Amino acid sequence: MDIFLDFFRGPDGVTVLSIYQGALRLGLPILALFIVIRSARSLLGFRREPEVWAWLRLATGELLPVTHWENLLGRKKSADIVLDFATVSKNHAVLTRQDDGAWTVTDIGERGRVEVNGTQVMSGRVEYGDTVSLGGLEMVLEPVSKEEARLQAKSRTKAGKGHSPGLTLLLLTVFQLLEAMQFVFNRPEDRMTIITAFGILLGVEWAMFIGQKLIKRSGFEVETIAFFLISIGLGVCASADPGELYKQLVAMGIGIAIFLTLGVLLRDLERAKKLRYVAAAAGILLFLANLALGKEINGSRSWISLGSFSFQPSEMVKICFVLAGTSTMDRIVTQRNLWGFVIYTAIIGGCLVVLKDFGVAAIFFVGFLAIALLRSSSYPNIILILVGVGMLAVIVVAAALAIKHFPHVARRFSSYGHIWEDSFNKGFQQTRSLMCIAAGGLFGLGLGNGWMQYMAGEGAADTDLVFAYVSEEWGLLMAVMMIFALAMLGLFVVRSARVARSSFYTIGASAAMSIFMVQAILNVFGTVDFLPLTGVTFPFVSNGGSSMMACWGLLAFLKACDTRQNASFAVMLSNKGGEQT
Amino acid sequence: MKSIAKRTYFALILACILLFGVLTFAIRYFLYADRWVSFTGSPHVYTNGKLDTGEIVDRSGEVLYTSAADRTYSGNASLRKATLHLIGDKAGNIPPRILRAFASKLFGYDKLNGTAAMETSGGELRLTVSAQVQAVAMQAMNGRKGAVGVYNYRTGEILCAVSSPSFDPLDPPNLETDNADGRYDGVYIYRFFHARYTPGSIFKLTTLAAALDAIPGLREETFTCTGERIINGEKVTCPKAHGQLTLRDALAQSCNCTFAEISLRTGKSVLTGQAEAERLTENIEIDGITTIRGNFDLSDATDNDLAWAGIGQYTDLVNPCQYMVYMGAIAGGGTAAEPCLVSSARSGGRETYAAEPRQTPRMLSESAAKTLREFMRYNVTKMYGGVDIPGVEVCAKSGTAEVGSDFNTATFAGFIADSDYPLAFIVVVEEGGAGSSTCAPIAKTVLQACMNVLDGER
Repeated sequence: MDIFLDFFRGPDGVTVLSIYQGALRLGLPILALFIVIRSARSLLGFRREPEVWAWLRLATGELLPVTHWENLLGRKKSADIVLDFATVSKNHAVLTRQDDGAWTVTDIGERGRVEVNGTQVMSGRVEYGDTVSLGGLEMVLEPVSKEEARLQAKSRTKAGKGHSPGLTLLLLTVFQLLEAMQFVFNRPEDRMTIITAFGILLGVEWAMFIGQKLIKRSGFEVETIAFFLISIGLGVCASADPGELYKQLVAMGIGIAIFLTLGVLLRDLERAKKLRYVAAAAGILLFLANLALGKEINGSRSWISLGSFSFQPSEMVKICFVLAGTSTMDRIVTQRNLWGFVIYTAIIGGCLVVLKDFGVAAIFFVGFLAIALLRSSSYPNIILILVGVGMLAVIVVAAALAIKHFPHVARRFSSYGHIWEDSFNKGFQQTRSLMCIAAGGLFGLGLGNGWMQYMAGEGAADTDLVFAYVSEEWGLLMAVMMIFALAMLGLFVVRSARVARSSFYTIGASAAMSIFMVQAILNVFGTVDFLPLTGVTFPFVSNGGSSMMACWGLLAFLKACDTRQNASFAVMLSNKGGEQT
Repeated sequence: MKSIAKRTYFALILACILLFGVLTFAIRYFLYADRWVSFTGSPHVYTNGKLDTGEIVDRSGEVLYTSAADRTYSGNASLRKATLHLIGDKAGNIPPRILRAFASKLFGYDKLNGTAAMETSGGELRLTVSAQVQAVAMQAMNGRKGAVGVYNYRTGEILCAVSSPSFDPLDPPNLETDNADGRYDGVYIYRFFHARYTPGSIFKLTTLAAALDAIPGLREETFTCTGERIINGEKVTCPKAHGQLTLRDALAQSCNCTFAEISLRTGKSVLTGQAEAERLTENIEIDGITTIRGNFDLSDATDNDLAWAGIGQYTDLVNPCQYMVYMGAIAGGGTAAEPCLVSSARSGGRETYAAEPRQTPRMLSESAAKTLREFMRYNVTKMYGGVDIPGVEVCAKSGTAEVGSDFNTATFAGFIADSDYPLAFIVVVEEGGAGSSTCAPIAKTVLQACMNVLDGER
């Protein structure tokens, strides 16, 4: 029982203030748990109801639904439209919907022809009413009538049904108010700054929520999770250096602008496909600028200073890289345009080695693997795997060279796994992290009450070691919840991939989330000495403007693959959400 | 689309790695957080680089050390010197192992609240040792190197765990200049727990325990000693020919020829099994101090080697503390209490730790223990009358281990067979000459001091 009494004990014994603080220590994790669980149930518990875009009528009269914008037609079981006839190839054709509603059929079969109205085509347009023949099997493409579309939109479960996103956001608001209040007590000298900052945060998140309501979108879980993580990040910032709060908010604003712009651009697949080239070029330009203007901070040259604002171009390149890596299925299965991406990745990898930024190089490598895996066709794609392994070898060799030539990298690697043996020097950051995690217990020492703040900035407590920072002040429970929240986004992508409209979106979301996951892995595992400390940020939580902007940008890809009914502003409504009469 | 969607499992794998890592870390947190938080330099616990916890007191409440912003030792120089290895020195050459292991209990750390409910005063760590007995033992060692240990084989409390040489932590020697005569050789080593010695004839207690169970009727046999015995062309010798001997007299006279024969008849595997049962080749953790493991390896032994191994020579090595526990097991009918150094810890006036007695695994059979006890009592009455204490039954065995050509390690181990004074002991003196004449007087002095302490507590 003593342990539970201790909960409410302060420096002067059990007082009104200590009970209030104790209640907060308990209240914040409970609220967080509700926020995370509500979001999880909404994101992971939805029924995967396919959208029907057209019908294929067989000669028998049987109607086959066309449930994606890109559909693999063939004999094998994993085809989107399974045609189990001896004359049809395992992978015979891809039926692709164009943005204007027209369809294209592309021959990918190793045997058997594709004909449209009796004319053999390699890739040809199909109008509604046309007869498509695969190896002699004839089908008629039929449209989904307006009435059918309306009924479908009406019958599909709307995003967030049963787990009102508004209520979740309200819980988050309470969470943020309690958080700000604790800072008012613990940091009275900065209370105006902190109150203003949290006021802005509340304003922005509710404005976004209402804005999405206005355009009839109801899925707000992804944004809620981002704002939940940002709330914790701002708490770290307020504790470590309240002066940085506004900077962080400005970065958040820019990030949200990127998020909204990119999301809207991604709605239209044709436009998005063109955007790929712009993105690829922008990625290279950013790196060139970095090489020319970069200055060295903490041993790596990946920073550009614009006045008082330091900026890491490699963070923005992540968005460009993911966009450049996406592709539609007709291209994937015909194996075109793959080498371009491999070469592009190699260039970016090379730039990172020159910039001595190996943590980021590892992130790009994982992003590459995620994309390569999705883009390799159904045939085992040996080349890609070889290139992947080759890149890994290059990174390993470069890392080996780095250990010799770049002392900051060498120091981090040499203490890996032996942090306690040199706890005052090479193992200082991680041993202090573990000490502080232990000191924080499950419920934390209270916001602003930790020791990690003395190791912020140069010591990277608020960036690379943010897991320990959160554990110390907020408690291990909160730190774990912040990881659950992020992992949930990864799981959501996997779940929604099957009902995605185009592989373009699946690839984008999967790559973006893989990048989030690997960043969290490197960040957290580095802090607790499961891996060498690589100096990677935890998405949305670590203090840092470039990272914040990049995270919002990557989040747009997640929104673009959320095809739950009326879920996402980045997905076009298939029929005005069933509101049309 | 289906086949592409499937490959998003890559993100799933990464998410699983992340979650698995977090789970692993959570487990590590619950196992080790108290060590992390009390590790040297922990910002929440240390003030100006010093562990800010509380007092270490001996079993009588005598304050040996105050661990606060300014560390202070006992005011009594002889107590400081006698408890140095338990407490640690200022320079960190002798680490404060017990304090480190229990620091989190002293400031009231708990894994739920972290240091939020930490106490800044009132920490007390109570040791089982008696500082007074330690001082007596240190004085009895009189500057000779070695170890003295006494423990209660019923409760596990270690009353005495002395390592000599030692020094006053407030007046540490400079080993560059003060050690010309070698008097401080190995002074930083806690010999009682961290040294291992060739046991010599006390090891016959191990051999005999194995033989009594392995060879039926051994107890009734008689043996003939001609002063030497040739095994595979090599000799095992006794100082003189003992002639006809009963088994009991063979142990009392410490007849090497008889025990060589017994070793050969018992065999490698049974002997090795006995050494393992006594945990002689294991590390045992005792309240933050891990004992060094001994050595008993017959894998390449010839018959002659086996004979010497059975009489505590060859490559045999034992740690004093471990062998003391074996003495306790003989006294206790085959098992003894596990030894402990800390009886309780308090934080802010409430108890955060209390030692709970645990038994060792069985080290020898009850019947073998009974026989050994009888024989060891006979040893004392017949051979080491000087060690006997009126009113109680002291049982013991001496050893004189040959180490190189010039040096002997004198050993003496045993126990008091008395429920009021359930004490097992061991005395080891390096370069000490004959075991019984060197060590027995030390043992007697220290045992009497311990009995006084126990009397005082009644």
